[in-house]
Amino acid sequence: MSKMNYRDVKQPNYRHIGKYMPRKEARDIVTGKAIFLDDFNVPHQLYGKTKRSPYPHAKIVSIDTSKAEALPGVRAVITHKNMPEKWGLGLPVHRLLLEDKVFYVGDLVALIAADTVEIAEEAIDLIDVEYEQLTPVYSAEEALKEGAPELYPRFKGNHVDNGIKYFQPDGPWWQIIRGDVQKGFEEAAYVAEDKVAFDKMPCPLAPETPCCIAKFEGNNEYTIWASSQSAHILKLMGEGRIPGSNLSVKTFNVGGSYGNKQSLMTTVLSAAMLALSTKRPVKMVLTKEEQLMAYEVRLGSTITAKIGMDKEGLVTAVEGDWLVDTGAIADSVQGQVGVGLGEAQLVCAKCQNWYMDSHIAVTNKQQAGIVRGYGGQELNSCLERLMCTAMKEGNFNPLDVFKKNYIAPGDRFIWRDGRWWQSRSSLFFPEAMQGAADRFGWGEKWKGWNIPTRVEGNKAYGVGMGVIGNADINEDNTEAIVRIVPDLVGGHRASTAIIECDITESGMGTRSNACKVVAEVLNVPVEKVFITEPGTKFNPSNYGLCGSRGTITTGKAVSLAALECKKKALELGALYFKRSVDQLDTKDFNVYVRDNPQLTVPMFKLAPKELSIVGYGKHMEMFNIPSCMAVFVEVEVDLETGHTRIVKMNGGTDIGQIIDSKAVEMQLHGGFGSACVDTAIFEESILDPSTGRLLSSSLIDYKWRTFNEFPPYDAYVMESQIDSFMFKALGIGEISGAAGASAVLMAISNAIGVDVKEYPATPAVILKALGKA
Amino acid sequence: MKKQYVTMTINGREYRFSIGTGYGEVPPSETLSETLRKRLQLTGSKESCSEGACGCCTVLMDNRGVTSCMLLTCECDGKNIVTIEGLEDPVTGLDPLQQAFIDEYAFQCGYCTPGIIMAAKSLLISNPHPTEEEIKEAMSGNYCRCISQYTVLRAINRVAGNGEDHTAVMHRANDDVVDPIPVRQELFPSPFANGFDNGNTLD
Repeated sequence: MSKMNYRDVKQPNYRHIGKYMPRKEARDIVTGKAIFLDDFNVPHQLYGKTKRSPYPHAKIVSIDTSKAEALPGVRAVITHKNMPEKWGLGLPVHRLLLEDKVFYVGDLVALIAADTVEIAEEAIDLIDVEYEQLTPVYSAEEALKEGAPELYPRFKGNHVDNGIKYFQPDGPWWQIIRGDVQKGFEEAAYVAEDKVAFDKMPCPLAPETPCCIAKFEGNNEYTIWASSQSAHILKLMGEGRIPGSNLSVKTFNVGGSYGNKQSLMTTVLSAAMLALSTKRPVKMVLTKEEQLMAYEVRLGSTITAKIGMDKEGLVTAVEGDWLVDTGAIADSVQGQVGVGLGEAQLVCAKCQNWYMDSHIAVTNKQQAGIVRGYGGQELNSCLERLMCTAMKEGNFNPLDVFKKNYIAPGDRFIWRDGRWWQSRSSLFFPEAMQGAADRFGWGEKWKGWNIPTRVEGNKAYGVGMGVIGNADINEDNTEAIVRIVPDLVGGHRASTAIIECDITESGMGTRSNACKVVAEVLNVPVEKVFITEPGTKFNPSNYGLCGSRGTITTGKAVSLAALECKKKALELGALYFKRSVDQLDTKDFNVYVRDNPQLTVPMFKLAPKELSIVGYGKHMEMFNIPSCMAVFVEVEVDLETGHTRIVKMNGGTDIGQIIDSKAVEMQLHGGFGSACVDTAIFEESILDPSTGRLLSSSLIDYKWRTFNEFPPYDAYVMESQIDSFMFKALGIGEISGAAGASAVLMAISNAIGVDVKEYPATPAVILKALGKA
Repeated sequence: MKKQYVTMTINGREYRFSIGTGYGEVPPSETLSETLRKRLQLTGSKESCSEGACGCCTVLMDNRGVTSCMLLTCECDGKNIVTIEGLEDPVTGLDPLQQAFIDEYAFQCGYCTPGIIMAAKSLLISNPHPTEEEIKEAMSGNYCRCISQYTVLRAINRVAGNGEDHTAVMHRANDDVVDPIPVRQELFPSPFANGFDNGNTLD
């Protein structure tokens, strides 16, 4: 079968799609009028604060809250002794919100509600707690050893359940077992075996800290206002933790999330429990220190594996064991492991022989949670270092190897639901990698393995690349309703279209993009399309913006709803004009005869009096359209100091169809944020093993990239019109920086001529590799 | 005890606060950020790190950008404060910076944007035509994690009169296609749906 040329892809001319349009809330954002949760208050609200554990693992011997309770303005103090209800944490539930034990520094000891934040903070110090310290364990490897201190009775030997029903409806799935590994290694010309760790559990660190307001409505019903990127996920998880409850979740503009602010479970349950006790709304806003020390971070990941590669550079076998450190609370980690294993198969898609096992452990560190990259980045950062070792054995150019091995239409893989899927995504991923490589100058800059591109005095320059993909981009079901609301008093100019879909805006512009999609289908100006306020109670169901699913899933639901709307309008027009539907079209809330456009009728004359024209659309989950992102980096390493600087970065992808040109560009830039690329050189949570506390618990101590350190970034974007939904687009943000960390380590290794496999490659790591320290 | 007051002009309006611990008074420990956000409902500037590291709470004090979480209100007597809410001119409309931020889409979640705009305004007041390097340095005290830095630099460079900023470039492959084929929107057919047969089967 001959392959299609990119030139032959028909590029449609859309009225709105593909062009930049200022977001609906743009003016509110630049004038300071946009409301985030901390800008919002509820009448009669109290303020919640938490007393947190100073020890990583300890038993609470005694706790005295009498002084705190006596402080004027304190309305409730809740400890494990007087919890009104026993709410659990984790998936599966393995502990209570408050226990007579603490499992990480920052674990909950007491909840306080008071009239002001200041009174609540004062009350924290008035609670006397006596602890008996227990032996902590800080890594998955140590935790899974025999005789290691056991955290929870639910997890024998600290081993978290492999897979859970929610993510894997046919039964747990946590291993890739395919083909015959032994045969695969026999076919291999080159075999590499190593252990690589990506285990510093960096923090995605959204600027807005996690926060919520909880109100008890009686009858086990709660209203939760939260800084969550997905009201639906919060409702789903919260109702599972508060037995028999019904949560109405409302969201605002979210000040950054990067997948990290979804269920906010410990914070929401704390506020809800205080609300239940006091019968008043309770607002709880974490401080930056709490976010850094006690909120959710990236998984810790260690992989020991063996990879076989044949003479052509195709991966023939992968055998290994993936250790996952989920910190002290295991919450949806099984989904991340499933996605990580799935993404490994996308990068090594031609490999038919796998035995890849995984083990998840709880440790006495802060909880790992969901973060952009969702298991894939954590595994990829290790696996691609191993692929590099095999490529080096065969002296391959990594660009050729990644192009050959990446998933193409027809290739099969097992995704996180444990089911087989076959890709029907783009044919052009290898072209996208090549296009980005050409713009980067890979041909001239790549000199071979562990060979610098050039050396100038103390500065050595090297290049590296990485590739990652994600098939989660059409996960989970979504539904939407679109209504054409004709003007009541006549005049099509006042008509509007309303989208009913639960979409929270956390920076991606998806609310505006949904309006754009509907405007395109109905052929109306985008300014005439509006979308309902986010919230679970009155909107059709939408899982939320996670896994970069927003583009396809909400895009499909709202476009199909708009199409049904349009069809109904055309049917009404057909009766009016006494012509066939096929002869009609819509524009700006009119129906007109296509071949005779002066025959036009405004929709307000067609719709039943006072009523609107309604359409419904839905998206059903599937995992057969993987995305792809290739990253190229050039680094400069100072051979004297070991300091690394990223000189330039390029990205390449086939995005199907651009919905908004500037929005997609920033999704690609986002790979520098949320603990992605920079986890290779300076981003890490630094644990003091003698106390179990983080040394990087403030925005000054935790390192982040500043404005003056951003290197040139060049993106190469193809639009091959992938069969995802009406507008042929797919989501990319999840993985835009996910292969960046492994690419940077490859570049550093090439610059200094020594393999570096430690994240992050700080000056100390590089000097050690150079034998200078 | 003698009554103490501080007087400030905030967004063109004069406010007098009584300093003390009585009801409704401003305690000596209250920060300017708290006064603006909680007392005056000027919630545009955000309080994120509360230690002057992120710049989200930046406002103008006598035309200089300051992190309002690091200042005590009782020490701001006689100062002229402008917050993001006061930047828009009631007659001429949005400040050129605000308009440039919209045109260049120089934000994503928008949480740190008010602080970034005020920091940029502070730079442009003291130096109306900064170089690209001066802009980067001036903005390096502001945190943004969605990574809108590239588009922010575009917006500020535009207002500073530096022409287009090419630190970040997005190249659309379609621009390389000679003589492209424009067609009408088609709804469902796909050239890719069935993939191609490369011999990989389940067995």
